[in-house]
Amino acid sequence: MLTYIAHRLLTLIPMVIVISFLIYLGLELTPGDAVSHMIPPDAYGSMDPDRLQELRESLGLGQPFFVRYWIWISGVVQGDFGYSLAGGVPIADIFLDRLPATLELSFAALLISTILGSILGTISALTRGSATDQGLTVVGMLGVSIPEFFFGLVAILVFAINLDWLPVGGRTLPGYDSFWDRLPNLVMPALVLSIMMTAGVMRYARSSMLDALSRDFIRTARSKGMPEWRVNILHGFRVALTPVIVLIGFRLPVLIGGSVIIEQVFQWPGIGKEFVSAVRSQDYPLVMMVALFSVLAVLIASLIVDLLTAIIDPRVRLGE
Amino acid sequence: MVDAPITRPRTRRDGQFDRLRDRETSMQGKAKRGGRFLGKFLSNRLALVGFVIFAIICLMSLFAPLLAQHDPMSPNLRAIAQPPSVEHWFGTDKTGRDIFARVLYGGRVSILVGLGSALLSALIGVIIGVYSGYVGGWLDWIAMRVSEIFMSFPQIILVLLLVAILGQSLLNLIVIFTLTGWGGIYRMARARMLSIREEEYVQALRSFGLGPARIAYKHMLPNALGPIMVNITLSTAAFILQEAGLSFLGLGVPLSIPTWGNILNAAQDLRVLEQNWWIWLPVGATISLFVLSVNFIGDGLRDATDPSQQG
Amino acid sequence: MNKLLTTSIMALVSAQVAGGATAQAINDSELSDPRVRQAIAYAIDMETIAETLFEGAAIPAVGLTSDPANYPDGMNTYSYDPERARELLAEAGWDGSRTLDMVYYYPDELTANFMAVVQAQLADVGIDMNYRLLEGDVGAQIGGVPDDPVNGPAVVEWDILYGARAAIANQEYFNRFAPGQMPTVPTIDAMVPLVESVNATTDPEVQRAGYQEMEGIINEGAYILPLYYQQLYIFESDRINRNGAPYGNEQYNYNSAIETWTVEPNEDGEAVAYTNGAPMQFFEVPWQNLGIWVHSKYVFDTILEADGALTPIGGELAETYEVSEDGLVFTFTLQDGLTWHDGSPITAEDVQWSIEAAAQFPLTHPVLASTLSSIEGADALLAGDADNMSGISIDGNTVTITFEVLDPNVFLSFTQFAPLPSSYFEGADPLQLQQHEFWQMPIGSGPFMIEEARMNEFTTLVPFPDYHRGEALIEQIIALPSADGDANLIRNAAAFRADFGYSKNATDVPSLEEMEHMTVIPANIPYTRMFWINQFPRN
Repeated sequence: MLTYIAHRLLTLIPMVIVISFLIYLGLELTPGDAVSHMIPPDAYGSMDPDRLQELRESLGLGQPFFVRYWIWISGVVQGDFGYSLAGGVPIADIFLDRLPATLELSFAALLISTILGSILGTISALTRGSATDQGLTVVGMLGVSIPEFFFGLVAILVFAINLDWLPVGGRTLPGYDSFWDRLPNLVMPALVLSIMMTAGVMRYARSSMLDALSRDFIRTARSKGMPEWRVNILHGFRVALTPVIVLIGFRLPVLIGGSVIIEQVFQWPGIGKEFVSAVRSQDYPLVMMVALFSVLAVLIASLIVDLLTAIIDPRVRLGE
Repeated sequence: MVDAPITRPRTRRDGQFDRLRDRETSMQGKAKRGGRFLGKFLSNRLALVGFVIFAIICLMSLFAPLLAQHDPMSPNLRAIAQPPSVEHWFGTDKTGRDIFARVLYGGRVSILVGLGSALLSALIGVIIGVYSGYVGGWLDWIAMRVSEIFMSFPQIILVLLLVAILGQSLLNLIVIFTLTGWGGIYRMARARMLSIREEEYVQALRSFGLGPARIAYKHMLPNALGPIMVNITLSTAAFILQEAGLSFLGLGVPLSIPTWGNILNAAQDLRVLEQNWWIWLPVGATISLFVLSVNFIGDGLRDATDPSQQG
Repeated sequence: MNKLLTTSIMALVSAQVAGGATAQAINDSELSDPRVRQAIAYAIDMETIAETLFEGAAIPAVGLTSDPANYPDGMNTYSYDPERARELLAEAGWDGSRTLDMVYYYPDELTANFMAVVQAQLADVGIDMNYRLLEGDVGAQIGGVPDDPVNGPAVVEWDILYGARAAIANQEYFNRFAPGQMPTVPTIDAMVPLVESVNATTDPEVQRAGYQEMEGIINEGAYILPLYYQQLYIFESDRINRNGAPYGNEQYNYNSAIETWTVEPNEDGEAVAYTNGAPMQFFEVPWQNLGIWVHSKYVFDTILEADGALTPIGGELAETYEVSEDGLVFTFTLQDGLTWHDGSPITAEDVQWSIEAAAQFPLTHPVLASTLSSIEGADALLAGDADNMSGISIDGNTVTITFEVLDPNVFLSFTQFAPLPSSYFEGADPLQLQQHEFWQMPIGSGPFMIEEARMNEFTTLVPFPDYHRGEALIEQIIALPSADGDANLIRNAAAFRADFGYSKNATDVPSLEEMEHMTVIPANIPYTRMFWINQFPRN
């Protein structure tokens, strides 16, 4: 097991290096750089291009491509993530600042969708074929069919502006000290973000519940006269949940990426919002680190899922 | 594990035998498979409803020039933000353009982006996946590594990166979606090939001396078509939603081209959202309905092709 | 207010000028023919566009500058006249075979809508046009000047650029007509001495005469098509009371006297006011966009003070100031006992360091940069041959600046120039000033100081107790990270999270005006949106 993990982690390294090189190369090929985004376009005509060139040189943008890549990658290997070009902020600090916001949002969405999805999926499975089952299926499908930003915008209009129940956006305000203070800010983005996932979990929970209910030990339990609800909850639900957990593992990195749009809609100060603005302002060191970070998240999550599956299901062998 | 060795020279009879056998197996399989498939698909009410909606929206977009009485691009400053009327069924937008026409014409572009990218990525994924899955070797190794690279990104991050690198245009968006989408289908097709590679009929075909390409594409591929179709529909739905999402971020198709995403983007303006429901509701409903219908179809296809998913 | 300005412009403008000087193409490009450019001007119905698409938040333009006093008699307004446009095109032999390539760089939806309207109106007179949003290095794509500024060929790869000039000094509108500066217009000989003359004097009369002549030349030849003047809209919730403090050009530093404003206390009895424009990642150096952000104009005081129209009216950090008769020596004395927000004294050394750093900082505002680079010894400092500017000398609290060449905007520049506390920048490279960690939590000299900065979330400002004009009355300002033209501003305003601020965005204006708790006050600013028509032949 340990050798397997070590082996998987080792194969990650060349992968990540190749990916980082490819992104760096891709960004290199795009016209423009961070300096060209530091001036508002209306002022371009009056700026002195020579001075801007000096700034480029000073930020190290004038060096040959391979030199810059080498400096960058050797820094990263030594744990130096570099600095954002626009404001000179250490990228590690930006991560420390924004990552909690993204994780908070993602976990909240994960929690909501897991609970809601498993319950709805179970109900759906237990009432298989009924109007409830079909209704839930259609609602679930509808949930994944509405563009999420559109959902978010309408939610803001209704719940924040017309009803004034929840704030329009943002994460904290001065004086918000504890998590509970900012809980109202979290509700809308987390709910909207969880919609897509809830539908997925629901579908998965439904089919694995159906699968579980048809197994022998459930029949045995039933035949021993155990009340129907206990059979369903105790045995069925427990068995059905295992694949759902695996599903969640797969979803985790998707969630980090998936919050890009939701963070934008709700002014949520997370990694996704930072990524969009870094891409827009061609702040490459920052773009690189966010991209690499999300790649790592995906790769590690898939490793964890593999390990989990192996633990849950002894038939799966590792290292093939 | 590349190809079965041919131990004796082929004769004319071998060829006849092959053809006969081919015809028999394929005809039988097809009739049986097709019949069961169609029956199951049709008996799924939601899938049927989905197909009807899908067909209606596609046809309306296709025949947009016949159905729309107005030019989707021509503004009329004397009739801006008009509510729906007999003249303008869905009202007009902030420049007085007819929204009904824009939704129809926008559908052409959005469906082209969604369906086009899904089909293209399926084509690429299947061609590489089927062959490399069956034959293996260096091609398989390379394709696998490349797909791993593409698939180790969260989709939206990769799409944003590629938009930054390639720039914003309609063609680029299709290319980007294809690049991000082919990996999934490739892996599925490949896995499918690996699992049926050892089946008896494949071994039989091999022992008759058929070439790997022929075995892979002609005889094995049909057995993997079901999940591929499911994947195409699901990708179509995802791409259409992503196009809208990119428009929201201001990184989608240039605003000069009407697409569903670009039209819906007007809803960002709170005042439009509050006061001009006709600017965003019809197009929002159209996107959602279309994606819903595609999802229904995908679901129906899945139920019809995958015996393990019994509803 | 809009109407008033519009009508006054119209009144001043009389009948059309008859006949151009040389009404023909001067090179292979059809756009070098003034008749084609005039036709484009006639084809666009700016009046209707301003009234409908911009919902009144734009004033159709006549000249590059919005002040009618800068116009000669007989300026042509090029009022919408598609018939005349077609005639001119026919005269010029326009055969419609060329599709014009229009570019723009504002990513908002309103601009895209404006482009769609212009496209339709041009098509109406027989000009095909396609438009596209510039991506990547916009500066390089719009700024390339031909090696041969008379015959071209063009460096820029478009036919028309939809852009703007935001100028705090009128010279900025015309300076690119100096030889070898203009990406779109072959050198106009008559303009060259005029550009020189308005830059070589501080006499408003001489400047005005120059502007009038230049406006006349540009108007007649339609070398640049001014489209509309944008106004700035100051918004204010009913909780805010300015107590008589003036309104003005909010993008710059002026005597808005924020320390005297009051705000109705909230339910907890605290006088807290919300605004927008909090930083996303770092505070911006106040030399770049001058007063555009709350944290520039309220955290930093400037040497001199301007009124709402940016006319210098007195000292701010400076107690007294004067300029020599030849305009080459500028002297000012700082008030006694001024301190930075950290309590340390504001010294003449701080000012000197700041001037030298601002001259070297690559992103310094062009007007300020041009003033500072006119100081004696600026060239040597910039070239790295000297550590200081020889033209600056200090004596106690008095700073004396000697200019090598006359700069027309010395006072204006110093009303916008905020010194920084030099002790924080020991050994800092002025090129990378913005990348300095100081800008995570800057120490200023203004009426408000930064209390807490949570990047991308909020910034809070509290009164600086030792402010030289007295402690501010608002107890706390909370700035949220939304900006003008950003849909979040309107959402925040609707949720009572924007008590004061401004927007230049025409989409924001009607939304704000419709909110019962909001008042919107338009302010005239020098900001002209225009078409730059590429008159060089293109390869």
